Amino acid sequence: MVDFSIILAGFVDVFTPINLAFVVFGVVLGQFVGAVPGIGPVMAMAIAIPFTFGLDPLPAIAFLVGVNKGGLVGGAVPAVLMNTPGTPDAAATAMDGYPLAQQGKPLKATKMALFSSITGDTFSDIVLITVSAPLAILALKMGPVEVVALMVFAFSIISGLMGESLTKGVIAAALGLLFSFVGTDPEHFTPRLIFGYWDLFDGLALPSVAIGMLAISEILRRMSETRRGEGKGLLVADTGKPEDRRVSFAEYWACRFTLLRGATIGTILGALPGIGSTAAAFMSYAMTKAASKEPETFGKGNLHGIAATESANSAVVGANLIPLLTLGIPGSVTAALIISAFMIHGMQPGPLLFENQGRLVYGLFGAMIMANFINLWVGQAGLRLWVKVVSAPEAVIFASALLLCFVGVSMATNGLFGVTVMLIFAVFGLLMHSFGYSLVIFIIAFFLGPQFEKSLAQAIALLNGNLLNIYTSPVAVALLALSVMSVFWFLSKRSNTAADTTNLGVPDGETLDQKHP
Amino acid sequence: MRSRTDRLSGAFFLVFGLALFFLVIPEYVEDPQGGNLSPRTMPYVTAWVLAVCGGLLMLRPTNHAAPDAGFFLKAAAYVVVLGGSIYAMSLVGFLYVSPVLALIVMLMIGERRPLWLGVGVVLMPAAIWFLVTQLLERGLPG
Repeated sequence: MVDFSIILAGFVDVFTPINLAFVVFGVVLGQFVGAVPGIGPVMAMAIAIPFTFGLDPLPAIAFLVGVNKGGLVGGAVPAVLMNTPGTPDAAATAMDGYPLAQQGKPLKATKMALFSSITGDTFSDIVLITVSAPLAILALKMGPVEVVALMVFAFSIISGLMGESLTKGVIAAALGLLFSFVGTDPEHFTPRLIFGYWDLFDGLALPSVAIGMLAISEILRRMSETRRGEGKGLLVADTGKPEDRRVSFAEYWACRFTLLRGATIGTILGALPGIGSTAAAFMSYAMTKAASKEPETFGKGNLHGIAATESANSAVVGANLIPLLTLGIPGSVTAALIISAFMIHGMQPGPLLFENQGRLVYGLFGAMIMANFINLWVGQAGLRLWVKVVSAPEAVIFASALLLCFVGVSMATNGLFGVTVMLIFAVFGLLMHSFGYSLVIFIIAFFLGPQFEKSLAQAIALLNGNLLNIYTSPVAVALLALSVMSVFWFLSKRSNTAADTTNLGVPDGETLDQKHP
Repeated sequence: MRSRTDRLSGAFFLVFGLALFFLVIPEYVEDPQGGNLSPRTMPYVTAWVLAVCGGLLMLRPTNHAAPDAGFFLKAAAYVVVLGGSIYAMSLVGFLYVSPVLALIVMLMIGERRPLWLGVGVVLMPAAIWFLVTQLLERGLPG
């Protein structure tokens, strides 16, 4: 039974000055880092998580949500102005945003991106708030057998959808699981794969692994690719006409169906684990272009192109939290980072979250809605400032980010051992990325590994030691059947997807997943 | 044209998976009696998955091309600097090492402007020190 007093109390919690201040701070920081090519919200979130230790759960999570939402808005700025997306999600935005900026309308393009982003984001947040509680009630009916089957299904979907081949996806998932087994085994409490390092008795610390693989490895990659004297791209000037600096209501309203389509695509794809906002942006762009009466104007500065991509990639953010909050399964790297922040603050994502900490969950929903309004307000005021940010030197940004990672991981793991582990996983992440293995699959599997093993042990006990007794659970059988079907489907569709990727203008070696970093 | 990259990484995972199965797991994972799930079961499963998928990747590689050797050499140089700085931090602490680390990294990237070098060497470590020790009241690494 839904308790409206808890829902109201949760929403009211957000309106305390301290919580609002952290949402504002998160959005400002997110827009700032999103505007810097090379940092992006994922890296910013990874770095920021350890610094939220001293905060109460709601301001900490609200701050991180603000960083993420702000980052998606900020990511469009360098995409539009320099044809250099600050985030991979914004790559599709550059296809029409940059030509529009070249026509002397950079502010019009960035404002359309801002309005579209907030429209899509708000749409998916409303869906999240509406469906997550009923889904959680449904999820509560699942036992360990169904949980194991659900995780197998999630692994099959994530491995198939992310990365460039199913085989590589499975390898990345297996590696993530393998490293999650380091430490004490959940049933007998004996040490596993610690190689005499008793610091590993409690397992590999999530902040060390996540920050090493997502932040440091990305910084290493970017630094290794940077060539001395490399230009940052040409910033464009505007025409000076007022109508070229703003988006009129008529222009926004003309894009309403495009925005709705993008938001719907983003919400549906975001709710499915493993697809990601980059795929949503490109899919929405392709469908809008196909539905347009003037497809030839796309890629030449069409506002519908910007509206399609930004509404879709931002809609993924809210929808990503649906599997996370209802099932405890992170569907993307951003969700994996949010889940680690949840755990740091004593929250266990999953169906019981609504029962045990309902007020906090609705506080989070309130913070998400507030973050959207603040995103609009900060974006309106800050767009001119973020334009300056895109020209900040990478050397200072990367050096600063490295120092922050060192300090953050040291604080999270109580010493330099965690920092050393972080560096090892940074090297590992760099190699995985270079050889085409998805870091996102690795991180999600690393996170789910302990729960998977624990649920499997419980399931074996419930099935009297014989996994073949699984037929007693029709839900589990159905999920396992779906897993097998999805593997075959991905194998048969892989070649077609590769062809579609090429047609959509995605560079060689990149895929339509949220592969970055 | 299929690249050699996947064949190389596939061969690595084939050998790695087999080494895990036959050498590492028996040596470094205990096998206590009783219980529903042995501590070795899941590591064994993942080792087999790695070996089988590594073999499959050798047989059916994708078109993925790895970066050139120069990229890896540059990355290795940065890793050496970062590793050295972690060791130095264990000896003298973050406060003394961080400006030197920032300077080396910025010079390696190619930054030569004194103002920006000053920002990285002085302003950022000072800001981090203030944030961590004064505002958050936590210790710096080292």
